[in-house]
Amino acid sequence: MKFYRPTSLKQALKVLAGDEDARCLAGGATLVAMMNANLIAPSALVSLAAVKGLAGIAKRKNGTVAIGAMTRHQAVADSDAFDRGQAMVKEAASHIGHPAIRNMGTIGGSISHADPAADYPTALVAVDATVTVESAAGKREIEASRFFTGYLETALAPGEIVVAVSIPATPSGAASAYEKYARVQGDFATVAAAAVVALERGVCSFARIAVGGCAPTPVRVAAAEAKLVGSKLEPAAVAAAAAAIAAACDPIDDFRGSSAYRLAILPTIVARAVATARQRAEQRPAEQRP
Amino acid sequence: MQIAETFAVAAPIERVWQFITDPTAVAPCVPGCQSYEVLGPKTYKATVKIALGPIKTTFNVIVDLTAEQPPTFLASTARGEEGGKASTLTAQNELRLAADGPSATTVSYTSEVALVGRLGKFGLGIMKKKAKTIGEEFAVAFRARVEAAEANRGGTTSEVLSTDVPQAGA
Repeated sequence: MKFYRPTSLKQALKVLAGDEDARCLAGGATLVAMMNANLIAPSALVSLAAVKGLAGIAKRKNGTVAIGAMTRHQAVADSDAFDRGQAMVKEAASHIGHPAIRNMGTIGGSISHADPAADYPTALVAVDATVTVESAAGKREIEASRFFTGYLETALAPGEIVVAVSIPATPSGAASAYEKYARVQGDFATVAAAAVVALERGVCSFARIAVGGCAPTPVRVAAAEAKLVGSKLEPAAVAAAAAAIAAACDPIDDFRGSSAYRLAILPTIVARAVATARQRAEQRPAEQRP
Repeated sequence: MQIAETFAVAAPIERVWQFITDPTAVAPCVPGCQSYEVLGPKTYKATVKIALGPIKTTFNVIVDLTAEQPPTFLASTARGEEGGKASTLTAQNELRLAADGPSATTVSYTSEVALVGRLGKFGLGIMKKKAKTIGEEFAVAFRARVEAAEANRGGTTSEVLSTDVPQAGA
């Protein structure tokens, strides 16, 4: 196996363009574990550690938060760039694994691995994030909901890597929550739900919900969100939304829970995420008012 | 893990039986099948490429037909291993055909699969989903192949087919 440590993105993309079995090494949190388990044997590793300009979090004038692919989970968890509707992305980051993993793992690596039980995919699909990918042929942008295509499968073409993730501003008054149910702290989710809601005079005016760990990709259902908008987020409306999401799910049976168990707890996890987001939306601090 | 699938083919049961017992017809419908070889009247060998995200592998599989009752029942065992024996799989398969009319057949199969070695570590939940996807892709390809052959015979109407195979569905 060859090992490359390019200092520019251009050099990295050139290596990747010439070898379909080469893999990028970002934080190594998953890739190295999979190599140690003898599950994958890349022909070459292209370390992104020395590539300039891939790490960091920037807030643009329009409120969009751009996160470089090599940004560590802990940096996202510690960032104050997010508005309250975007903030569940940092909440999701704070739930990934343990401190050692959060200090090494990166957002680009996590979403490229595309485990549907991982925390970022669900959160990013809920907030309408855009993934910027680049190859030697050029750059393109992919909506998060189209980026994740299957279990450990993404829309990345051969030779393409994630360079950044952009999270658009959420409506004024929106707040969010990431609710994760895992067997033990630091594990992948059995079921996770990400919610963004905004209320006007107690009536829901904006809703985004995604569920993780229940299908080959994060699940987001437009009809479920439509059931919440115009409601007062009363239990019946939230239950109806959860039922619409559950109908689109197809969980696996594994040691984290059977398919039936995941579907059974899904409504509770969704309800908790919505309740927390709502509570945060209603507790809008005075100093944040325009 | 147990895998069970059912799919319908618009063709008489005898025709479906003829196809499903013919390795030259079945092998091209198996997703990822790179090559196959007939080792004996009831023994076949196939090389199948499988990818699960970044995990890519090739299994060399030997299939033995162990029991058959034409045109409704076929039992087989499959043994496969990756190069270097990093993982091995064994499967006990049962396939049943049922006539739903003169030109409609329901194909159902069950497979009890055991996977050990490096891929066994990965968790059977995902493997089961992968097997289901492969099964669905096979069903689509197999149905298309049999139905295209039926259309070429000019026998797409039940009248013609019932003349061809009067016992179908009886």
